[in-house]
Amino acid sequence: MTFLSVAFAALAAVPAVQDAEPRAWTIQAERIYTGTGRNLEKGLVVVSAGKIAAVTVGADEQSDHPKDSLRAYAVTAGLVDAGVRVTNWFSVEQSKEVTPQLRVADTLDPYALDWERQLRGGVTTVLASPIDRNVIGGLSVVLKTAGPESIAARTLKADAVLRGSMGSDPSAGNHPAFGRPTDFYSRRPTTRMGVEWEWRNAFFNTALGLNEKDPGRATLMAALQGKLPVFVQAWTTQDIRTAVFLREEVQSRPEFAAAGMNTPRFVIDAGAEAWKEPQLLARSQTAVVLPPFPAGGRTRENALMAWNVAKILADEGVPFALSSHGSGDVDQRLSNQAGYAMAGGLTFEQALAAVTSTPAKLLGVESRVGTLEVGKDADLVLWSGEPFQPGARVVATIVDGVLRYEGWNAVQGAAVAR
Amino acid sequence: MTTTMMRATCAATLTASFLALSPEARAGDGRLAIRVGRIITNAGPDIENGTIVIEGGRITSVGADAKGSWDAEVIDRPELVAFPGWVEAHSTRGMDRPNENIEVAPFLDVRDSIDPISFYFEDCLRQGVLAINVQQGSLCAVGAQGRVVKPFGLTIEDMTLRPSSGLKIAAARPGRSRALQAQSVRRAFRDLRQHLEKLVQDKKDGKDTARREALFQGRDLDKEENKKGRAMEGSAPWKVANLETIPRGEIDEKQEPLLRLVEGKMMAFVACDGAVAVTQALEISRENGFLANTVLVLDGDAWKAADRIAEAGVPVVLGPQLLYVERDPLTGKEIETFVPGVFREKKVRFALQSLNPTAQSLWFQAATCVGYGIPRDEAIAAATKVPAEILRLGDRLGSLEKGKDGNVLLLNGDPLAVTTSVQYVVLDGNLVYDRSKDVRVQQILEGVEQPNASPADADDPADIDPHSGEKKSKSDKKKD
Repeated sequence: MTFLSVAFAALAAVPAVQDAEPRAWTIQAERIYTGTGRNLEKGLVVVSAGKIAAVTVGADEQSDHPKDSLRAYAVTAGLVDAGVRVTNWFSVEQSKEVTPQLRVADTLDPYALDWERQLRGGVTTVLASPIDRNVIGGLSVVLKTAGPESIAARTLKADAVLRGSMGSDPSAGNHPAFGRPTDFYSRRPTTRMGVEWEWRNAFFNTALGLNEKDPGRATLMAALQGKLPVFVQAWTTQDIRTAVFLREEVQSRPEFAAAGMNTPRFVIDAGAEAWKEPQLLARSQTAVVLPPFPAGGRTRENALMAWNVAKILADEGVPFALSSHGSGDVDQRLSNQAGYAMAGGLTFEQALAAVTSTPAKLLGVESRVGTLEVGKDADLVLWSGEPFQPGARVVATIVDGVLRYEGWNAVQGAAVAR
Repeated sequence: MTTTMMRATCAATLTASFLALSPEARAGDGRLAIRVGRIITNAGPDIENGTIVIEGGRITSVGADAKGSWDAEVIDRPELVAFPGWVEAHSTRGMDRPNENIEVAPFLDVRDSIDPISFYFEDCLRQGVLAINVQQGSLCAVGAQGRVVKPFGLTIEDMTLRPSSGLKIAAARPGRSRALQAQSVRRAFRDLRQHLEKLVQDKKDGKDTARREALFQGRDLDKEENKKGRAMEGSAPWKVANLETIPRGEIDEKQEPLLRLVEGKMMAFVACDGAVAVTQALEISRENGFLANTVLVLDGDAWKAADRIAEAGVPVVLGPQLLYVERDPLTGKEIETFVPGVFREKKVRFALQSLNPTAQSLWFQAATCVGYGIPRDEAIAAATKVPAEILRLGDRLGSLEKGKDGNVLLLNGDPLAVTTSVQYVVLDGNLVYDRSKDVRVQQILEGVEQPNASPADADDPADIDPHSGEKKSKSDKKKD
């Protein structure tokens, strides 16, 4: 195998180029963290036809296919990131503030390097969303980070959520026109008020039937009826409140009840300050996707993100997922975020859930991914040590039964024993 | 906690700035016995249920059966782990500004720029970094003299472990051609040589301009070390003949630190932003005879010159990004290279640098090395013993052994685990940090906002480029 020697010479890690046919793998590990509460020591995960065929205690009996056997310290399900920012600047149509009907899947590039970066960090399923330069940007897609060379073939769930934003992002770059408008960006919204007004305008117009000709109407209806979850970016307390109160307004106003559009489901994305009023989120049963932990305590929008934010949400019973926002940096990957949440008081099992099963549930793909159970997709991460510790790393990633990434060690060469 | 411990705790302060130190806490002449569940000595096997005895600021014994004197204060925490402090081999933080606008300024000293109440040093203490080599940033040709400091003390003198730790030299400088930068650095040494030759010639000609200039600059020419002349020392291939005719006090103080470098009495920390710069750095070091005192501070793809570095035999301080990512021009794929692995294979001594002072400090970098297959003791050494040796403080720092400085971290777990934090810091035998009283930890960890505890408007520590010391340009920043 040529790629073997090339990669070793450069002490490098390259994605394993395998034939796309899923193989029958037997993975032996000291620890198997299934994510179902049942963890195994010295066990096996057997993969067949792209699905998990068995998760058992015991060693590999003499296999006829030694090449298809892998060993690692630990195995978990493939990680799920519900907040990656892998999309490019052309992922949102900025000629209008509200474009719910646009599908981000149409602008994604299967050849982009972002997907491989995610694979190297053990992330196998992501929610890709339009960037937050529109108030309501469009429809996000849940997809695998590896697979055939088309977005459609990698899609796990098309049009999975409606994506929008509170705060200052959607109005960034716009400027009020004092006198004669000077350019395209002399327009609303220019403030947080304006951003929220666009949300309410879109929702009320839909409930009152004032946007019959709007191509986004059907999408907004599905969102208001609760058929389509709404992911709202809201970093700070004031933006989280705005989102929660908007939803409560929809639930309580007679206009929405009369139209049967009073049951929207909201998920707060990048809720850095969710720890400040966790009861508010618990009361309104709103889930949260947390942004990466900041080194200096403050995130974008100058939000203060305490390191025990995940612990507080767990204690209050607020469902939450962690996210790396798509970073491939060795200190900022999704696995690192789980470790930082543990430093803030989360248990390992809680941290594991926050990067696997919980985001899978939030995205409605829990029947396919998120845990190691027989019949689920064979998305596996092999670790060199205890997962989420900086002293352990992802040594191999399998997606749908195909070995898509194999790491190389600085010292011993291959990081995975065969 | 015992009552004697309480007294020590009261005497200790969270930050140098907030509380005045009581006299007994400063002198380092107290006797302290630290009993813990595990001592990671970093010099041989770990000791279970051992004691570290510190007297007069130094460790006097370490072992399972070590005993302090009858009047020693006792810290008895069987649930904690003792570990020597981490050592930061190079940092451009902790100063009021990282760079000067003078290109050649070896006469400057970061002593005048270090801010003892900078949040940076507070972060170092919190993360257990107990020695920091503060150096000017790389926006210079020949920069100021650095200084190794402790992260605790009201004045620079209190903090100092080693003054004049070395000169910063920049083999490359952002926004400037490599040719021009190389010329600037070389010119600094040529100017030194010409200055010395002129002094010798003037002395021969009977002129006393240098003496008068020295008196004008306020130097005391009657002082013993200034009075005498001395032939030029060091291994530089060029020599100024008859330098012994010049009283050392008559040498221009702007040139004198550079002469110390050439004479082998000062170290150089040479910033290399890539492999090309390594060549320049090694050439200039050889041309002026200070290769043996050179430490390369690396960034970018400088690891590609690992063979040349190994051949030159100089140690390196690695840039904070341990994983170098580049694109293969043929396949377009990304290739990752784990930089410490390259230097380990080439048998080059390397020290790690923190990624940032607040969260991904030296412990994180060492842990990352373990993740990529470097043996644990070597990974830890790269942030303790190796930097201590590079800074010529190997006899004082880096391990818990008899005779070393009385610096001990008390941790609540394995030093490389993400869930571990520094509970107490003993520095020179004094308890100087207690996590339970750290208001900023309460803010970072629990969101409890405290007055004066956080520089809310300060730059994000992750936004500082550790090489130049300046804020990263917008395009360098991460997406979020």
